Amino acid sequence: MGWTGKLLHVDLTRGTCERREIPTEILHAYLGGRGLGVRLMRDFFRLDPFDPDMPIIFAVGPLCGTNSPTAARLACVSRSPLTGTIYDCSAGGRFAWRLKAAGLDAIFITGQSAQPAVLAIDGARAELLPAGSLWGKGVKETVASLKERGSVTAIGPAGENGVLYANIMMGEGNSIGRGGLGAVMGGKRLKAITVQGEGTTPVADRERFDAARADVMRLFRASPVIFGELGISEYGTPALVDLMAQRRMAPTENFRATFFADSGNYSGPAIKRECGAKKEGCYGCPIQCKKASAQGEALPEYETVNHFGALNGISDLHAIVRANSLCNELGMDTISAAATLSAFGEARGRFPDASEVASLLADIAHRSGDGELLSLGSRRLAEHLGHSEVSMSVKSLELPAYDPRGAYGMALAYVTSNRGGCHLRAYPISHEILRKPVPTDRFSFSGKARIIKIAEDVNAAVDSLVACKFAFFGATLEEYGELLTAVTGVEYGPEALKAIGERIYLTERFYNCENGFSRKDDTLPERFFTEPGSGGEGIDVPPVDRERFSEELQKYYRIRGLDENGGFGGRNILEELP
Amino acid sequence: MRDQIDKYTEKLLADRSACPDGIAFAAQDDVLITAGAQGLAELAGNTLSRLNSLALVAARPSLPFADFLIARADEQEECIVPQDTETRTFLHDIPFLRQKDLSGDPSPVLAKLLGNRKGVIVEGVGIVAVGAITVEQAFINYSSVFHSTFVKYLQDVLADGFKLPGEREAFEEFRSHWLRPLSATGLDFVPSLPGDKEAILAEIERVGRYTVERGLVDSFFGNISAVAGELIYISQTAASLDELKGCIDPVPADNSSTTGITASSELLAHRKIYEQTGSRVILHGHPKFAVVMSMLCDRKKECSIKDCWKDCPHVRDLGGTPVVAGEIGAGGLAKRVPPVIGASGSAIVYGHGVFTLGREGFGEAFASMVDVENFCREEYFRRVEEEML
Ligand code: SF4
Ligand SMILES: [Zn+2]
Ligand SMILES: [Zn+2]
Repeated sequence: MGWTGKLLHVDLTRGTCERREIPTEILHAYLGGRGLGVRLMRDFFRLDPFDPDMPIIFAVGPLCGTNSPTAARLACVSRSPLTGTIYDCSAGGRFAWRLKAAGLDAIFITGQSAQPAVLAIDGARAELLPAGSLWGKGVKETVASLKERGSVTAIGPAGENGVLYANIMMGEGNSIGRGGLGAVMGGKRLKAITVQGEGTTPVADRERFDAARADVMRLFRASPVIFGELGISEYGTPALVDLMAQRRMAPTENFRATFFADSGNYSGPAIKRECGAKKEGCYGCPIQCKKASAQGEALPEYETVNHFGALNGISDLHAIVRANSLCNELGMDTISAAATLSAFGEARGRFPDASEVASLLADIAHRSGDGELLSLGSRRLAEHLGHSEVSMSVKSLELPAYDPRGAYGMALAYVTSNRGGCHLRAYPISHEILRKPVPTDRFSFSGKARIIKIAEDVNAAVDSLVACKFAFFGATLEEYGELLTAVTGVEYGPEALKAIGERIYLTERFYNCENGFSRKDDTLPERFFTEPGSGGEGIDVPPVDRERFSEELQKYYRIRGLDENGGFGGRNILEELP
Repeated sequence: MRDQIDKYTEKLLADRSACPDGIAFAAQDDVLITAGAQGLAELAGNTLSRLNSLALVAARPSLPFADFLIARADEQEECIVPQDTETRTFLHDIPFLRQKDLSGDPSPVLAKLLGNRKGVIVEGVGIVAVGAITVEQAFINYSSVFHSTFVKYLQDVLADGFKLPGEREAFEEFRSHWLRPLSATGLDFVPSLPGDKEAILAEIERVGRYTVERGLVDSFFGNISAVAGELIYISQTAASLDELKGCIDPVPADNSSTTGITASSELLAHRKIYEQTGSRVILHGHPKFAVVMSMLCDRKKECSIKDCWKDCPHVRDLGGTPVVAGEIGAGGLAKRVPPVIGASGSAIVYGHGVFTLGREGFGEAFASMVDVENFCREEYFRRVEEEML
């Protein structure tokens, strides 16, 4: 129950699609989504991201297909060409739900097609179709031309051309972003996947399920961040713009400052007013945190407005919205695109102005002109320009819109994240800024090593369920454990789920270490240790204390059972795990 | 972390929910530390080291209610299910371990239970509660379990009388010695709230502290606000009312900024109350007798509504204070309280707590919360006596 126990194995080189069983122990031990994908990478993680044999995996979770709040999601897992780390990303949309309805827990794709191809799944049938006519097309057109085949996930020109931060775009406007898995898909010459299915996901204990669902919904209603009148259901994640400005931690001008006087232009209320934002969101999600314009155009998220805004010194909301739409259409990550432009801006002494952004983005996706260099992301660009200090990234992944000088848990979380500088792993914003489940002191390292470790475990489980992190501004693993137990008939409590999360986290870390990552990669750009942020209104934003930072990182390693270098001390952890 | 443990030990002593010689904490950063009463500290440490959490408190409650609830429970029951809003929303139910099932080191089985729930009762030992990421969280969970067992026991006694030897004596002892008279006397309030920010913040901070000191709220539940011109100053979500410095959000009345996303989940209720009553300040707490009494309904037998706490459409009355149903935050409370609170200046929410208003300042709001709770307390004991005759 909960799982279908099947994956679709697709070999693009040979042009074959076949259904295979997934052992039940693996499903019980890794749940689905991120965990299942990471487990399935065990024999492949050493391959180069662009090696044809490198798998790209799409995996749903046991709750998908039920009306568990926020659980119609999937994880996409592979190795990132941008960071070189193991990589996963969670995305919503009808695709996940239909994949499950087609009787699948996962799609496992390897090989490289001789010609551009589309993978079409329709219930028990799966086939590879020629896609020559779609190659070179934008995301909208691609999705539109395939829509009678069900839900679509596709790459745009950025993925085809190997932009290192190319996305895979879900037809309904969600994206598999950040780490460049669009380029991995493009390298395989797989333009799109379509899926259609009729199956339903049975629930083992309906009464228990309904009770757990009611508990979750009650907690959503009790959470100001979720359903509060100023929360994300109302304003989307740009609800954070005003808050980050007020807390003086909005990355500005490539992180030279942490306050942007014009951020009010793209705050939640401003977007609502200027763009007539209406509620949108992932399929089956009661929160509906995504927003669309009156014309149905997806509106940008918090990280995107800040990075095309403050980070590049741009205050024109409409230019920001256009940049977001363009990235979606070309199929590339907004955070990395904007941050790479910003690094470029600092290196050449001039940030791009609002009117210049669109053409630069097009150049990136087509790798023409400056776009060739920009398509490699900020770390490679900065090194090429002889200014490695301007890349504001960790493990080559561009930092999102939470300045680490304004929240020390975030500082630590950026460097311990297995996929590089990302805010969504330990997600300390939840307690350091949004006070959930309880507040912690954002300017203190005290206790943070353990807190980050626990949160990484929790979120690895959440990403494997696969539920949305935003649900946890209200609910906890207690209620999601109940949902899972009710659906699968297997008892899972929070502690059991955290143990699963820990297993997943350690597997990822092990893969990375085997690929040469260590302590030296677990660090922040120099700027954060030497330059202050923009204090004001009674808030002081000093540089991060390097010594306390290292001390806390060492503590973190000890808590994780790692050696001083952040490694496994010769231990082969995989032999110890199911 | 030691300073945190000291701080929350002090709080447990100040709110008199735990016995002075029966409090222990454990916390783990890279190493495990324990502090407090010896046996309990050991239990706390052994249990926490089996959990992927940061802190744990094990303390003997100052009232025997939790133990009585276990002793009164049916043989096959493994948890108690209080009906108050705090439990319903955050704890769900409270598992317990019976004395007779304890043999040797209880920490493995305790850890197992705490792997699923925030707090557990161990008969004859105490309440053990876990904090996933902070010491404060362990304290909050302890406090919620204490609150919930207190409320449930009083409800059960009223419904079923005493069943165990020693119960009546303990109840009398609680009534005559543990409970203290509740009053607003000796407290200073600014008679008419000024308009300037600093003065407003100072007054909110002070009154917040009073509500904790006088036992009108438990753990971090409850909130407080004042309106001035276009701004509502309101305590932040998850803020302890006795520590509001830096934890009060000014929220524009026209929603032009979202910095108030961190404001209390009852922001909407407060906003609507201001709109409909023209009052200046609002106080919201969870005084226990009001919570108990709000759940008594004489229509229970003939009423077809199952989920009274959220669905009951009736406005009942407790000594002139209207009682309505409704859930926290975006639930129905924000709809049901504002229309009824204006006339009496106070309202009780089913199973949840009390809202009171001040037209000029907090003096009125505070006094009326004390009055509501005192009425409910007297009424409770009156009914107990009536039932027991
Ligand atoms: S909260 Fe937002 S991102 Fe999360 S599942 Fe719902 S709509 Fe999607
Ligand atoms: Zn309340
Ligand atoms: Zn009723």
